[in-house]
Amino acid sequence: MSTRCYWLAGFLLVAAGCSRGPKLVNEVVAVETTRLPEGPRDRTWRDAPEHRAALLVQDLVEPRLMAPSTPEVAVRALTNGAEIVFRLEWPDAGADDMPGPARMVDACAVQLPETIEPDLPDPQMGQEGRLVEIAYWRADWQAWVNGRGDTIRDLYPNASIDHYPFQAKPLEPGSAAARELERLYSPALAAGNLRAGPRKTPVESLIATGPGTLSSAATQNATGQGVFEKGRWSVVIRRPLPKGLGRDQRTHVAFAVWQGSNQEAGARKMRTGWIPLVRRAGS
Amino acid sequence: MARVYNWQIGREMSYWYPEARPRRQFAAVFDINKCIACQTCTLACKTTWTSGKGQEYMLWNNVETKPYGSYPLAYDVKLLELLGGQEWDGNRYAGRTLFEAAPAGERVLGWHPTGEDYAFPNAGEDDCAGQVDHGEFFALPHARWFFYLARICNHCTYPACLASCPRGSIYKRPEDGIVLVDQGRCRGYQECVKGCPYKKVFYNPLTGTSEKCIACFPKIEQGIQPQCFVNCIGKIRLAGWISTPDKARPDNPIDYLVHIRKVALPLFPQFGLEPNVYYIPPVHAPDAFNRQLFGAGAPQAVRTYREAARDADLAGLLCLFGSTEMVVARFRRQGEIIIGADEKGAEVVRVPLREPVVVRPARDPHTQIVRINCP
Repeated sequence: MSTRCYWLAGFLLVAAGCSRGPKLVNEVVAVETTRLPEGPRDRTWRDAPEHRAALLVQDLVEPRLMAPSTPEVAVRALTNGAEIVFRLEWPDAGADDMPGPARMVDACAVQLPETIEPDLPDPQMGQEGRLVEIAYWRADWQAWVNGRGDTIRDLYPNASIDHYPFQAKPLEPGSAAARELERLYSPALAAGNLRAGPRKTPVESLIATGPGTLSSAATQNATGQGVFEKGRWSVVIRRPLPKGLGRDQRTHVAFAVWQGSNQEAGARKMRTGWIPLVRRAGS
Repeated sequence: MARVYNWQIGREMSYWYPEARPRRQFAAVFDINKCIACQTCTLACKTTWTSGKGQEYMLWNNVETKPYGSYPLAYDVKLLELLGGQEWDGNRYAGRTLFEAAPAGERVLGWHPTGEDYAFPNAGEDDCAGQVDHGEFFALPHARWFFYLARICNHCTYPACLASCPRGSIYKRPEDGIVLVDQGRCRGYQECVKGCPYKKVFYNPLTGTSEKCIACFPKIEQGIQPQCFVNCIGKIRLAGWISTPDKARPDNPIDYLVHIRKVALPLFPQFGLEPNVYYIPPVHAPDAFNRQLFGAGAPQAVRTYREAARDADLAGLLCLFGSTEMVVARFRRQGEIIIGADEKGAEVVRVPLREPVVVRPARDPHTQIVRINCP
């Protein structure tokens, strides 16, 4: 073999190495690292093993999703010993991040049991007395965090509004009285519903003890970031590491994906059952 | 699903939850024949409750022209088409309700309006049935017709919005039957928007929760009628409390009109929600159209209403509409005077059966001048 041939063979080997897909694993492996990635494009993700979880239709409680949509979600995980970051990726024909009547938004969620024990709660939102913790990311929250305005014109550019009572004289713009009146005309905000915002992160921490019991967690400790590129959502969700999850120990995790264009919201979703989650040392 | 009794369709039916009637049920009667579609009710509601961000398109109260008007667009005919042709067997509904017709995986048969469906609140306004052409309007009686249908939430006995919500964020108050969305609990899945056949739940895209008519419950709790009632120029509305037919009281205005005289009827009773806003049907709309909107009793209700001028009790009660800000829970007639009272029997208003008429001679005998007839 000539020198040129050796060069060519070497180049092909390197190229093959570069284009080699991620290391696939049959459970979610949270690899230890000193620096947790901020976003889904961070280079730290490159060597993390990937678990491809097949998604099932939610067909246990009404309203059900009757036909499958998103087929699978690719999951990677990293931990620094205090927090754990998941990266969820799934294909989607387009980003749905504009809320409105009959306009649902893309979303995903990570669910973990409250405690590590062999007897798991029901994978479908937990069960009575068996709490699950959920970190929930939404595309419209991401758009707001990214800088989209929070007015009707940001959703409907041609909307025409005369005025709002809280913007009328004699109230001074931005005054405490004006802000209070605005809050009163926004009942969910006035009721303290975290669903209504305002929010600094596109992720909400939630708890549940069965279908229909979802509620905001007392401590909001999850953050994240989602990016839509080339027909694919990449979303990172960061939350505290489950208590007691030492190296080489296992707990379980479940995932859900909502495709807005398919009118998916709430119980209408694609989901997984429990998947083992193991913490491993970094290389 | 549980089995519950719905007196409006004269039979038991399937519902998501067992029958649990409130201690008393908020109800109303709207006299369609008096409505002029001035939209004062709409504005009274809008300025009171839905002037906030994300509520711009919401009309908890609206007035649409029938047969062509609707808000949101075609809310009623779309659902009627989905449900398909159904039958009444006398006063018993032999067809399927929205709960019984729910497809697999759904709680209620419904459809979901888009933003565009909310963009035409005046669609069909003042358009009468058929084409007014070929000189038809020169003939009497007019073959063409339309009427105004004022609508709020029906605070149904079996609300489809409540049944649709997978997380129990909608509740019916046991003290007055008013149906509310818990703004602290709603997560904006919009199942209620899809499920309500009357489309009286609205999604707020800026708070991410759904909102609806609250029957002005802070006023009701004080014994005062809601904003859209007390601001009604045509005095078409009366708020009160309805009993079940077996407990109907002749001195309860709503019971008298709905159960005893059967002159006020629910809107689309065939959907199976037992709605609690009752309509005196329009006297000049065809029986077939009235039957589709108000059920099998519509033709008889029109006949009873046409005779009201010769019926002192019925005419007298109709005089109480719009006569007081207070909720009239009891009424009685003393000759030519109608007296309205609260639930404890304390008088809140009295009105004459006939307004006194004074005719002045055109020429004033004192000043020897001709009076000018101006306000």
